[in-house]
Amino acid sequence: MTSIEPVKTENSQQKQTANVSQTDLESRIADAAEEAVNKQKWGFWTVFNSTFLTIFVAEMGDKTQIATLLITAQSQSPWVVFAGAAGALITTSLLGVLIGYWMAKRLSPKVLDIAVAVLMLIISGLLIEDVIIGG
Amino acid sequence: MDWQLLGLSFITVFLAEIGDKSQLAAIALGSSSKSPRAVFFGSITALILTSFLGVIVGGGAAQILPESLLKTIAAIGFAVMALKILWSRVRNEEE
Repeated sequence: MTSIEPVKTENSQQKQTANVSQTDLESRIADAAEEAVNKQKWGFWTVFNSTFLTIFVAEMGDKTQIATLLITAQSQSPWVVFAGAAGALITTSLLGVLIGYWMAKRLSPKVLDIAVAVLMLIISGLLIEDVIIGG
Repeated sequence: MDWQLLGLSFITVFLAEIGDKSQLAAIALGSSSKSPRAVFFGSITALILTSFLGVIVGGGAAQILPESLLKTIAAIGFAVMALKILWSRVRNEEE
């Protein structure tokens, strides 16, 4: 009789560990589902449109646009200037997105959030500075 | 094709834009979003369109869209996004 008891406790212990891993699994599934929902919420076109709008509004009438305008006026060949400007803008955005992607991989979510928030506040400050200086 | 002019406009715009707002925005949006490709395409579409308008409309663009109003809107938008991120971070930590 006494020999059975330890076996019993071992069994219940096993059950317990099985229970723990099951709840762990459940929470992982819940996390994954939440992530999937978040991903869906921020689909390609949502991100595309919000990026497009923010950058378009921020860059309209900015010094790049004025530089493009001035070079065009001087040279009389708008398409060459446009090609050069567009190429430069594609390069700088590509660099920007790559730096962001690299940061997201390197930093912890907490540090990343704070860094992104600070960066956005800096952008906001630069825009306000432009408005004040520009008149 | 006037390669000298192409190079001149490339270098001018490149130097003006490196480390500027739109690149900072690309960094911020690219790292906080799950779809960096969408950020890249959204950003280049906006930039190409603004330089296109710069070439085509020229000085007229400022009259159609008042620059200081647009920039104020953008500044508020970025500040709101920053506060939203910080707010959700604070709430996450309380939970």
